[in-house]
Amino acid sequence: MKNIYRPIEAVLEDIITESPTIKTFVLRPKEPFEFRTGQFIELTLPGVGEAPFTPSSDPNLKDKIDVTIMNVGEVTALLHSSAKNISLGIRGPYGKGYPLDKFEGKDILIVGGGVGLAPLRSLLFSLFADIDKYNKVVLRYGARTANDIIYKEAIPHWAKKKKVDLVTTVDMGSPEWKGNVGLVTTILKDLPLDLKKAICVVCGPPIMMKFVTLKLLDLGFNPKDIYLSMEKNMSCGLGKCGHCRIGSYYICKDGPVFTYEQLKDLYDIWD
Amino acid sequence: MHQIYYIESNQLETLFQKLKKSYKVFSPVAKGPNYTAKADYSYKGLAEGESPVFNPYRAVEPLKSFFTYAQDQAAEYFNRDEPVLDSMQVIVFGVKSCDIAGHKVQDFVFLEGVEVDSLYRLRRDNTILISGDCTDFKDVCHCLAWDILPHPTEGFDLNFSPLNDGYLVEVGSKKGEGLIQQYQEYFTPAKETQIAGRRVKRENLIERLKRHLLPQKLVSKDSVQRLMREGYNLDTWQQFMLTCVECGGCNLICNTCHCFLLADKKEGNINKKVKVWDSCQYANFTRVAGGANPLKTRTQRLRNRFLKKFDFFVDNLGMPACCGCGRCIEVCPGKIDIREVLKDVAKKLSASK
Repeated sequence: MKNIYRPIEAVLEDIITESPTIKTFVLRPKEPFEFRTGQFIELTLPGVGEAPFTPSSDPNLKDKIDVTIMNVGEVTALLHSSAKNISLGIRGPYGKGYPLDKFEGKDILIVGGGVGLAPLRSLLFSLFADIDKYNKVVLRYGARTANDIIYKEAIPHWAKKKKVDLVTTVDMGSPEWKGNVGLVTTILKDLPLDLKKAICVVCGPPIMMKFVTLKLLDLGFNPKDIYLSMEKNMSCGLGKCGHCRIGSYYICKDGPVFTYEQLKDLYDIWD
Repeated sequence: MHQIYYIESNQLETLFQKLKKSYKVFSPVAKGPNYTAKADYSYKGLAEGESPVFNPYRAVEPLKSFFTYAQDQAAEYFNRDEPVLDSMQVIVFGVKSCDIAGHKVQDFVFLEGVEVDSLYRLRRDNTILISGDCTDFKDVCHCLAWDILPHPTEGFDLNFSPLNDGYLVEVGSKKGEGLIQQYQEYFTPAKETQIAGRRVKRENLIERLKRHLLPQKLVSKDSVQRLMREGYNLDTWQQFMLTCVECGGCNLICNTCHCFLLADKKEGNINKKVKVWDSCQYANFTRVAGGANPLKTRTQRLRNRFLKKFDFFVDNLGMPACCGCGRCIEVCPGKIDIREVLKDVAKKLSASK
């Protein structure tokens, strides 16, 4: 019988610096490993520790996985100081991910904050691969400063894709930044969407998701049509270790993507 | 109706000496040098010549400690020579009804859901549970409050009910039936009069336990989820946490609490994942990298413990994750009593209406 706690081995093939605190780690698993967009993995630094991340790469690429990671804790700091070609462990994929079948024929608003754009990049790849199934993709992305924007080279290419409408903003401007300045909620006005057939996907820090959700409700979005990534404190990935309980759900197996409808009556969801 | 047999005490002695050749046999033994009528009982692996003791109420250790260890090796990784999972054949004697009922939570977590915990599965398959009727209770016992009787009705392999100079042995599973078949020379089919005798003894104990519990005016099983949802913002949580020292004892000794920490370590060149029992009363239980922690305060953590037991598990398993064993009450240095917390919520909610 399979041991659910044993990771498979993956070679760290490349490291791409995205911002002063964020890097993308390119992993090549030694065994077949597939995921659906929005599912997460547990990444093990051998002998040191494990942490949950949602892959940022194209789920259709079967032989490698990108994971975009901010340097915030012990495991991530050691990962950031790692050299290429070391072995890392992967468990998963876990969770339900984005329900792409429910997005078909819809206007899809995607709102990202900071490193929260990472899981959304894998969603974008999935949408771009079948773009004819969707009405349009409206992406709104906010970072703290221009320096903190990730996927800087890719964003202009995404903006030029058919059916895509993309605007970025930064919380704090700088002389070299020519775009919008202000929190991501400030670029949620006059959205080119048909609200009757629109859904929204939000991923970012809890405080950002809270205010974006309130804004979306103001705009008239139905709680059923707001998808939130509640990624925090997942550990075993399978609803056994007990750490990621939220109300009557485990984030790891029932999420990490939830509709606001599922969460709206729970206490303290933004903590 | 399960099959019921009878075994005499001296025959049981002989049987257990035989069983010990094929199984590691655990039985509760009275703790401490001076045996008293209200002694604590603790599980012990019986050595050659030692016999099991019929404990009048549940042991100190929860039943879960036979299936998930306080510290467990979960896996080795990147190691081609990882040892094959191995688990000894175990008989646990003297399990009580509260533990059997509470163990449904452990089975639900580790055997059902997305995937199976293979080590738990193996230990579960290799363990025979020989339960026994309670013939007495501790002050903290309150199984009846959760509609759990002081004798098990399911979930055991064999159940022992002391009667005269022997035991009625009820078969609860194929494993139990197999044991009876294998050692049939020790057992005789129970007579109606013996079964009637068991019924009287059981009813007498239930009556005594009711007299013990009625004055306590405990909350009912059916009301508890509503209490959690409506009582979220009561000051009960602040009041009861004042004496909490964050030792985690309530969780660790609880037969239904299952949370664990999955950690990595290196021993020589071998990478290992280890599972360690965890407690939601620890300050870092929900802390994430970067420092965010949804359960920062002891108040939030105490409430979390109750929400998990009385809201989450009612929704997900259809039963509260409390079996009334009272271990958390006994172990708490802050004298936080699960019964009193629930009663306080109920009292404040009814006063506010």
